[in-house]
Amino acid sequence: MHPQTRTILLTLANLLIPAGILVFAAGFFPYKPFLPGLATHHALAAPVPAPRFDRVVFMVVDALRADFVFGNASGFAYTQRLIRDGSALPFTAHAASPTITMPRVKALTTGSIPSFLDVILNFAESDTSSSLAHQDSWLAQLKAHNGGGRLVMYGDDTWLKLFPGLFARADGTSSFFVSDFTEVDFNVTRHVKRELRNDDWNAFIMHYLGLDHIGHKTGPHGPHMIPKQAEMDGIVQQVHEAMLKEPHLENALFVLCGDHGMNDGGNHGGSAPGETSPALVFISPKLKEISTGRECPTAPKEDFDFYAKIEQSDVVPTLAALLGFPTPLNNLGILIPDFLALWPDAVDRTQLLLRNALQLSNIVKAAHPSPVYANPKAEIACAGDLSSGQELACLWKSTHSAPPSSALEALYKFSRAAQSTMSSAASNYSITLLISGIALSALALGISVCATFSHKALLTPDGVVLALLSVLYAVMMFASSYVEEEQHFWYWSTGAYIAYLGVQNLRSTTPSKSSKSPSKPPRPSPLLPLLTLLALHRLVTRWTQTGVKHTGSPSITTFLTHPAQAPLLSACIVYTYIDTARALSTSLLTTFNPPPFAAWLSALAPTVPALLFRAAFTANDAPELLAWLGPGAVEMLAGLPLVPLARGVFALLAAQALVVLLRRRRGRGAEILPVLRALLTLLLLMQTRATNAPLFVLFRLSFTSLSALLSPARGARRAVKLGIAGLVLGRTAWFAMGSSNAISGVDLSSAYNGVSGYNVLAVGVLVFVGNWAGPIWWAFVCVEGLLESGGRGWVRREWEALGEEGGELGVYMGVLTVFTAGGLAAVQVACTVLRQHLFIWTVFSPKYLYAMAWGLGFHLLVGVLGGLGVWRVGRG
Amino acid sequence: MPSSPSAPTPPAPSDFSPLPLPQPGLARLVSIAYPPLLLSAYAASFSSIIAAPAPALLTLLPLTAALQVFYAVLCLPLSAQNSNSKAQPAKAVQRKKSRHGDWIPRLSTALIALIISLSLGTAVLAITLVLFGAPITTHIPETLACAAHMALLAGVPLVYVHGVDAERWRAVAALLMPMDEVYGAAVGVLLGVWIGAIPIPLDWDREWQKWPCTIVTGAYLGWAAGKALGVGLRGKVVVV
Ligand SMILES: [Zn+2]
Ligand SMILES: [Zn+2]
Repeated sequence: MHPQTRTILLTLANLLIPAGILVFAAGFFPYKPFLPGLATHHALAAPVPAPRFDRVVFMVVDALRADFVFGNASGFAYTQRLIRDGSALPFTAHAASPTITMPRVKALTTGSIPSFLDVILNFAESDTSSSLAHQDSWLAQLKAHNGGGRLVMYGDDTWLKLFPGLFARADGTSSFFVSDFTEVDFNVTRHVKRELRNDDWNAFIMHYLGLDHIGHKTGPHGPHMIPKQAEMDGIVQQVHEAMLKEPHLENALFVLCGDHGMNDGGNHGGSAPGETSPALVFISPKLKEISTGRECPTAPKEDFDFYAKIEQSDVVPTLAALLGFPTPLNNLGILIPDFLALWPDAVDRTQLLLRNALQLSNIVKAAHPSPVYANPKAEIACAGDLSSGQELACLWKSTHSAPPSSALEALYKFSRAAQSTMSSAASNYSITLLISGIALSALALGISVCATFSHKALLTPDGVVLALLSVLYAVMMFASSYVEEEQHFWYWSTGAYIAYLGVQNLRSTTPSKSSKSPSKPPRPSPLLPLLTLLALHRLVTRWTQTGVKHTGSPSITTFLTHPAQAPLLSACIVYTYIDTARALSTSLLTTFNPPPFAAWLSALAPTVPALLFRAAFTANDAPELLAWLGPGAVEMLAGLPLVPLARGVFALLAAQALVVLLRRRRGRGAEILPVLRALLTLLLLMQTRATNAPLFVLFRLSFTSLSALLSPARGARRAVKLGIAGLVLGRTAWFAMGSSNAISGVDLSSAYNGVSGYNVLAVGVLVFVGNWAGPIWWAFVCVEGLLESGGRGWVRREWEALGEEGGELGVYMGVLTVFTAGGLAAVQVACTVLRQHLFIWTVFSPKYLYAMAWGLGFHLLVGVLGGLGVWRVGRG
Repeated sequence: MPSSPSAPTPPAPSDFSPLPLPQPGLARLVSIAYPPLLLSAYAASFSSIIAAPAPALLTLLPLTAALQVFYAVLCLPLSAQNSNSKAQPAKAVQRKKSRHGDWIPRLSTALIALIISLSLGTAVLAITLVLFGAPITTHIPETLACAAHMALLAGVPLVYVHGVDAERWRAVAALLMPMDEVYGAAVGVLLGVWIGAIPIPLDWDREWQKWPCTIVTGAYLGWAAGKALGVGLRGKVVVV
């Protein structure tokens, strides 16, 4: 195949990849249409039952798992007393996956099940499409209620982003550093006393973040947990006592709830029982009418199921009934049965539930049209094999034919069926788009295979390795446990690939007695680089335990972050910066031959502020790691201005890269690549977790050994080997840095480096660079290694004469494209085939999100465009 | 890893010749009947290996060792005594076959091969297992027992037929040896161990997924498959 044809085909394949990704995503994460506008009361024969409350205090404690309030080891002594005496009704509110704050707040306020798209939007919160300004919610209803209510909000600024302009008074806090246990909560508490005296609001919302931070930092049983619970209990007491004392709070309802729970590691995002079981408590002296109190503390029925288990969305119609506003339009919740007893008249109870069911039927009929919703007496088939839509129609019909005595039961039956049908994922895919997306990816795969495997460098065992790697990866995508624990695949295949390179090197360096060629100079034995590379690989894979099953189990990171080892960790990190500065000064010296002190000075110019930033960031983010410096030093470091410092480092790195690029000598661009690599390492060190920093020293050593192993390979065959090496070592690095295919694996800690306001693009880039730091580094050095394939000067000319020259870049890009297109197609097919699978939301949807990031962000931007850039610099 | 002998790169012509097939008669019969026999012995102790890997593997060790020694003495040509000439192994066998009382050097060579494999072989293979991801802070007896079984399966016959000649072992490591039942079995053990790691992360929650049950099983199955394939592809050189 002509190299130009290959270039055209590969370009085409790389245009088809993003098309396939986006088309499939549009079918897999459909934009859920919501009914616009505000609900109004249905005009029914009977009047709307009178509300029992006129205002609500809504207190969210982030990550408040059910057992924190209801269990034996709890700090909520006052709340537990309220539950025992009947002024509080306890529930466990099931939070659907993804258990992260924004979708959960959406469920708690609109009653709808947020689409998976909200997960992405959770990371790009300022996006207006995620705003609920135009959606019906209990906040919008209260605001519009009785000619205009007032809402006040204190705490997590997620609420301010979701409901822009809705609050009369508000003070948002952003969860910047999870090490902040007190400041975020004090910022809420300082408003409580004043707002409880005010009588101008009809909703007072608090969202406390400290407990969630403690969970992330020290787990559900950390030493700060019980004191924090007691602090939250104190707020409950303060509000409850005000409700007893203040006349304007006489008819107030107080709701205490968590937005999600946490797992045993203190994290959340997935669907473990601990993550999906937040507590929910309704508090008011009036509730004594319907409750004689429950046993508390108590033991869970199973896992974290305390008392009655309801859906989180059920809060919405319950508030609607209790406060007397119409149920929000997109609600999928059901009025909690326990509260019906507050209305002594049976007609009122049926009315409340009927209005709830009518609202649900509006959603049902949009998805499953049936004549019964217009005319309940319409004749429809209700026997035999029914689809879920037909079943709902029949249940709706039976609510109208039921005698008054069993009307409530029939309404509940319909509502529950509607809730489960409409919340299930199955009804939402667009099969056409899914198939089109797969077709585009498959086409990209076909074209890239034709373009790549037509090169003779692929008609070798290397080509077999690439094919085997892609096929095994594709097969693995269908096993949910291997998707969750994907790191094992990469650790396993990387080890084998290193051994494969070692054997190949050994063969090419083994002198053959039968060949009578004149003795060549003896090649160095591959044993040392082979063993070094394997040992480094073993060390890298042990750095962090990732995945699902063993996340957080003993690893080098857990060892180093133990307080006793904190000085050692700091020493490792500082050494990494020294190592990088040394690489920078050495490469500057060999390239531009400046005076040594000047080289060192320019190497230290970005390194010292970068290290200072790291120290200051750690002093804020994980002060316990610097405790050995003494409290004064930590306080001093924590006080450094982070944003200007980060901007300064970024500017210095950019300036130095620019100067180096401009001053490079014509035709000898490859010389400056080591300089650029050191600058890139410093940039990646800014964005990655502190504990990952020493990995870059291991990566550098690995690359040296890899180069030694690859030294006999030349030309296009070397390009293939480097392409595969970049794939396996890059993926290994990604997992070794703690990433995984779970949503909770995303590291957001460096998202705001150098960013003061909210800027989607900047934050997105910073998050991506932080999470993909390892693969970005490997992608760079592999192209750097590619440029060495021709050697320099006369060596290069000799090889050109040997005819081994040509097509390295095309073959290299072809290897990357074949794997990316193949992996993408496999993930898409797996997601389509398994779309009814139990794990689709918890395993395969996150995996597809990651496949999108790998395909669009990593492959296209870093691998292809970045690779081309490095190549051009090296050749220029 | 590709082991197809048909890829187009020019294979380095091997400086070594494959082992001859065992002589028709008792030797060939034993060579054919042996893998099913050893596999059945392994299968019989499989449940106890799952229950307590390290002790059960240690209990099985003498049996495998005895059978491997017996197999080497009966079916394999004696170590080529550091000779590298192409014709020599076959000639040596011819010479030795003519005499009936050569079982003493055979037995002593086999025992030396056993000692070398169990000491040096186990150590090298245990380190290799760790480099490829075996636990290092826990399960040390299990890993050592696993390495010992690998050393018996792959190492004893290799040392028995190739001795301790550095050049031959370099060819063994570089996959430059021509295929025969001994070399095939050794390559099979390594590939079997590598493939045996696949089921461990699956969420089936079975007892046998624990370290190193699948690994040892992979070693035994890979050994049997490699031995058979080694006979079938006799004389071919792996292309990598
Ligand atoms: Zn939260
Ligand atoms: Zn959290």
